[in-house]
Amino acid sequence: MNRRWRIGLTSIFIALVVAPLLLAGFVAPYPYAEQHREYPYAPPAAVRFVKARPFVEVGGRWCEVRLLPGNGRLFGVAAPCVIFLSGTDGNGRDVFSRLLYGGRISLMTGLLSAFLSLALGLAAGVVAGYFGGWPDWLLMRGGELVMALPWLYLLLATRALLPLHISAVEAFVWPAAIIGAVGWVRPARLIRGVVLSGKERGFVLAARGFGAGHAYLIRRHLLPLTGSVVVTQATVLIPLYMLAEMSLSFLGLGVEEPMPSWGNMLTEASHYHALILHRWLLAPGVAAIPVLLGFLLLADILLDGRHD
Amino acid sequence: MLFLRYFGAVVLVVLTPVSGASGDALVLSGVTGERGGTLVFGQRNEPKTFNPVIAADAASRELILRVMADLIHINRATQLTEPALAKSWTVSHDGLHYVLSLRRGVRFSDGQPFTADDVVFSFQVYLDEKVRSPQRDLLLLEGKPISVRKLDSYRVAVDLPRPYAVAERLFDGLAILPRHILEPVYREGKLAQAWNLSSLPTEVVGLGPFRFKQFLAGQRVVLERNPYYWKVDQAGIQLPYLSEVDLEFAGSEDTQVLRFQDGQSDVISRMSARNFAALEKDRVRRGYALSDVGPGLEYSFLFFNLNELPEGASPEVVARQRLFRRASFRRAVSVAIDREALVRLVYLGRAAALSTPVPLGDKAWVNAKLPHIVRSLPQAHQALAAAGFSRAPDGALLDPEGKPVEFSIITSAGNTERLQMATLIQDDLKQLGMNVHVVPLEFGSLVNRVFQTHDYEACLMSLIDSDADPNPDMAVWLSSAGNHLWHPEQKTPATPWEGDIDRLMREQMVTRNRNERKRIFDRVQEILMENLPLIPLLSPDILVGAKNGLGNFRPAMMDHYVLWNIEELYWRAEAR
Amino acid sequence: MKYLGWRLLHGVGLLALLSLLSFMLSQVASGDFYSQLRNDPRISPETVAALRAQAGIDRPFPIRYAAWIVAVSRGDFGYSLAYHRPVAPLLEERIGATLILTGAATLTTWLIAVPLGIWSAARRGKWGDRVSTVAVSLVLAVPDLVLAIALLVLSVQTGWLPAGGKISRGYAQMGSIQQLRDVAWHMVLPVTVLVAGSTPVLIRHTRASILEVMEAPFAMSARAQGIPRRRLLYRHLLPAALNPLISLLGLSLGSLLSASLLVEIVTGWPGLGPLFLEAVMARDFAVVLAVVMLSAAFLFIGNLVADLLLYRFDPRIRTVD
Repeated sequence: MNRRWRIGLTSIFIALVVAPLLLAGFVAPYPYAEQHREYPYAPPAAVRFVKARPFVEVGGRWCEVRLLPGNGRLFGVAAPCVIFLSGTDGNGRDVFSRLLYGGRISLMTGLLSAFLSLALGLAAGVVAGYFGGWPDWLLMRGGELVMALPWLYLLLATRALLPLHISAVEAFVWPAAIIGAVGWVRPARLIRGVVLSGKERGFVLAARGFGAGHAYLIRRHLLPLTGSVVVTQATVLIPLYMLAEMSLSFLGLGVEEPMPSWGNMLTEASHYHALILHRWLLAPGVAAIPVLLGFLLLADILLDGRHD
Repeated sequence: MLFLRYFGAVVLVVLTPVSGASGDALVLSGVTGERGGTLVFGQRNEPKTFNPVIAADAASRELILRVMADLIHINRATQLTEPALAKSWTVSHDGLHYVLSLRRGVRFSDGQPFTADDVVFSFQVYLDEKVRSPQRDLLLLEGKPISVRKLDSYRVAVDLPRPYAVAERLFDGLAILPRHILEPVYREGKLAQAWNLSSLPTEVVGLGPFRFKQFLAGQRVVLERNPYYWKVDQAGIQLPYLSEVDLEFAGSEDTQVLRFQDGQSDVISRMSARNFAALEKDRVRRGYALSDVGPGLEYSFLFFNLNELPEGASPEVVARQRLFRRASFRRAVSVAIDREALVRLVYLGRAAALSTPVPLGDKAWVNAKLPHIVRSLPQAHQALAAAGFSRAPDGALLDPEGKPVEFSIITSAGNTERLQMATLIQDDLKQLGMNVHVVPLEFGSLVNRVFQTHDYEACLMSLIDSDADPNPDMAVWLSSAGNHLWHPEQKTPATPWEGDIDRLMREQMVTRNRNERKRIFDRVQEILMENLPLIPLLSPDILVGAKNGLGNFRPAMMDHYVLWNIEELYWRAEAR
Repeated sequence: MKYLGWRLLHGVGLLALLSLLSFMLSQVASGDFYSQLRNDPRISPETVAALRAQAGIDRPFPIRYAAWIVAVSRGDFGYSLAYHRPVAPLLEERIGATLILTGAATLTTWLIAVPLGIWSAARRGKWGDRVSTVAVSLVLAVPDLVLAIALLVLSVQTGWLPAGGKISRGYAQMGSIQQLRDVAWHMVLPVTVLVAGSTPVLIRHTRASILEVMEAPFAMSARAQGIPRRRLLYRHLLPAALNPLISLLGLSLGSLLSASLLVEIVTGWPGLGPLFLEAVMARDFAVVLAVVMLSAAFLFIGNLVADLLLYRFDPRIRTVD
């Protein structure tokens, strides 16, 4: 397959996967917090097509699904009927709707914190590897300290200093900032290794011999060498961080109820009873697969592009 | 009269002492079974110690009561007191002086005899201020300790500093210690370090049905039959029937439930309603039975921060607290909460809604005349409108000063049920126009905020009473007590009604006529429901399970739910 | 040798700094070991205060820290308030279980991931590579916690694997070979979860760095000279691609004590994980601190090994300063 085609197809794939998340307010049939208390743990609705018109079953009754029902949503069913494409949770909230809204939040958290980690890691790794000596010592030993710190304990401690209720924006920025700030050490160590090796390569030494400045050397010769590691780290960090906020909600620092995130949805799904009786709660795990696949394909293209 | 009532009940339940080979053995009439076999009990957490003097965590207490015994015991099935190591007792007319006659010929698990010296030593240790036993507070009545004297080798006198309505119940769970083992350690001042899990099995000596055999860190404690145990069944067979009990630690409730389903553990206690439903599916194929014992002694409630705020508190918090202090505001919140939905959605129907802050398992003490709370938004609106609240055009509720009503509820992040209740209440209150935030906090931080820093607005919490009686909750209702959740440790009652409750609670504590006590406690509940310092929500059911073939399995709704009669449990032949 | 000495000295200094930081954290953390007793109506605030004074945790922070340093220099890591026991034997009982688990998982991860990464790089763009990409995204999408519980449920439903724990009931009566087999059998599930968590990262890094060197001039010329593919991959490309892998090896050696925390808790494995989490929740500070110090020591050693290997194996890094 030729490269242009691959880029095109991958972009379309990612757009198709991400668009419903970004347009959650339109695509989801219900607001994320709406509780249908008569339908706790409703299983995913059965869908049937009669003369090419879709129907869903609710409590033995079949209702027609209509496109653009006029409430500003993409699709829906008329009032007494309800549509739960992926079932409901214990509060009777539509899992499909929450999946879309939650995906948007988790995606943003993942991207933001991965970006933060990589930016910090890149800066630290390049400085440590290129300059060596005390900056290297300071950054690497500091990194070890960061990795060795009992983060659970640290967060317990700092939580007491924050106000009890944090606003919706803060609730989104906090987890990303914490995860990102903790996670810079791994990429930094990897990048440092590459830079250490790269700065002794012939063309770098030659450029240095011609009197090239530090900034120039780093920008033109060393940064490109780190590309492969950075891209690969990004592809593994984004999925990791998308769900990392799971453990933060335990400390009251995660996304606040009733707002969904894939992390807190999966926490609910990862219990014995859910796996036995309510498997549809695992939907976010399934939905994450195409999103992550998109990132991996994108990474492949980026890596290839560097050699063409 | 009251004493006679209790004593009468005791005589009926118990069982004439017969002198057998093991002396004054306690004969359990009506109890039969077969000896042998091992019972595996799946526990969530690892116990920390065998030492009853210092143990404060539930897992350790669960373990300790298998290897230790008390003087007077509360029968978990009848909830009445019955003789244990004390085979009978008398009480003076003023209710201040008890004489306990001890069982003769009883031996500790190492074969040494048990006498009044052991009892006197045990109380000396529990009451010693230097030892700092958490049990000590139970033996203080209004700050004064009870005193225990030896009369002769088999009789002790117990003197109370002031009358106490149900003094016999104080002895339940108070483990009698072997003086011959622990006195040297106690003299050295090293009692707290004694009897940890790395101790030698021969060092840990008690009067309970089992004794310590082996400990595997992070995995299990193995207990074996105490060959000197002092109870026999109807046929004179020495108890316990089981030869071994394994307490296995699962680490989490999910693993605990999985292991029970897998047949790796035989008994499971206090699981969540959801796990109960999930286990139901595999019940027949796997050969276990599940039972719902009904609402227990746990009760959940919502309360607002009514503490005196420190000087530097932010004006915003002060303004919010002005709302919380209004009883009309708390009443509107209470009537807006859909308790039936909490029961149905959070506990799948396996809980009961409360209309008084007394757990439903405490049936005899619930004030049944209090009206059942039915959710009514119009009533809530009315109460708020009468108190000067209004609605903004966008539906938000405005307080009498015209500010939107907004507050946060903290709750324990580790407890999924309470977290879900908070999100349902959040939605209920949204319909009144209140903007409520749910903040899950790790339990230690939550407790610290409620009791130490008072830095919170509202809190959703549960308490589990240790006995079906009003007295265990003295520390909750007395305004000067440390557990007076909404405003602990007051110097003088902050409100007239808290003063009234203080007076009534102290009165019921010394009243020996049960009907009179009940009347007083009913009045306390009326005052509580008028003022709603705690907004009662529900009492969850006690849900347990056991493998088929386990004989004499009679789960109770009080603590030690499934193991309380462990000496009577046995495997039927077909289950071995 | 001098370098090694320096690094070890730094390690000790860092441990001291880490302990100081941890003490300061414990100072601002909300609540201490005894505050949770406040929630028990049977225990009065006076008793709680007295217990606190008895344990010495109400003393000012510099005094507590100095006392701790003095004790540690004598090999005493403190006293667990929950277990009423010294911390050292408490950790000793459990550290072996953790190391067996993470050791096996790390070994398996490397044995699977490196060949797979090379294979996938060698057939870049072909079907095999595509399938491995999809599989990697599949594994990455499932968090460890969900995977662990799902596998537990599956093994109970099918009876294929034991439902958590480390040994069977009849362990004491088994012969030594049977005992070994029993433990291995119980390890399958937690090791699978750990391997699933770390393999994708390693596969991707191996693949990326092999691809990188494949494009290098020396590889091009070697291919032009007709050196066999397999020999080219393992003899020439792999050594050249080692750099990021060595850093990763250091990190995975460093996390031997901490990697399995969550998995141990979920599967009831009797290692440091459940002990540490419970100690954090209960604010049993001496236990927390000892575990933190120990995992930090592992981390330093892991990174040190990685740095030494980097200098040894990457021909381009010449000097050890």
